[in-house]
Amino acid sequence: MTSQSLQKVDHSALKTNQLIIISLNILAFILNLPILAAFVALMMGIGSALKIPGFGFVYKNLLKPRGWMKPDVLDDNPEPHRFAQFLGFIFMTAGSLSLFLGATILGWGLVWLVVALAALNAFGGFCVGCAVYYWLGRFHLSGFTKQPPAGTFPGMKPKVGVRA
Amino acid sequence: MSSETLLRFFLAIGIIVLGAAVYWFFNQHLLVRAKNNVFTLFKTLPNKPVIVYFTTPDCVPCKTIQRPALDKIKTLLGEKLQVIEIDASERPDLAQRWGVMSVPTTFLLDANGEARYVNNGVARVEKLMEQVQTL
Repeated sequence: MTSQSLQKVDHSALKTNQLIIISLNILAFILNLPILAAFVALMMGIGSALKIPGFGFVYKNLLKPRGWMKPDVLDDNPEPHRFAQFLGFIFMTAGSLSLFLGATILGWGLVWLVVALAALNAFGGFCVGCAVYYWLGRFHLSGFTKQPPAGTFPGMKPKVGVRA
Repeated sequence: MSSETLLRFFLAIGIIVLGAAVYWFFNQHLLVRAKNNVFTLFKTLPNKPVIVYFTTPDCVPCKTIQRPALDKIKTLLGEKLQVIEIDASERPDLAQRWGVMSVPTTFLLDANGEARYVNNGVARVEKLMEQVQTL
């Protein structure tokens, strides 16, 4: 782990994003609404394109101003989280397409996979997509240049006290 | 609500329960680790309940929620309870031994030094009190 510049990343915005993704996907499954799963995919895609959490606006405009969720700003790399969301977008798009094409088991399986990974991140503090990002970085792939914050297991939420 | 929706609802509940069970087993694993490493903190048994609190200097929820909750519980229980604070950034060895993956994390140990509860993330004062009372 070499010296690198970390940025301030608000993990509450990421958590809000994950919780909304989990909720909407479970609702989509219960109500059998592939269109809702497609909407989640779309929001994750927009978020990936804009380099923000897809449902981060809920935190920014509603939860944070009203004090319903407090900021949890940590020194971290934003890139792995963006990559994780992009991976989620790919899975959700594949899941939605499968559902529209009639491959329901595959489709809902992919949707539940996203739910499980988002839950692991939201409740366990482990970001699988981030771990994949750091793992790819070990192979010196272009674009995967960041390393985990010092003292942090790749993919785990930083324990802070982290120095750039 | 159609029968299909009901079926899907219960299926979703089942999947969530399964996930919660996996999480429960993970917590049990953490408690076993804590039990095996309790003597990394004590030379002799504490003879009173202990809260082992893993934190770091820059952890915002630790400062805004967890620290005030622990202060309050210490005020309420006084000498009947011991709180041990560990800076995970200064003692990564201890954090690793105890299986701490995020902060704040609190372990509640009974008077025999046996880890009985683990809270991954913020544990509010009501929850901590409830847990301490069963120790």
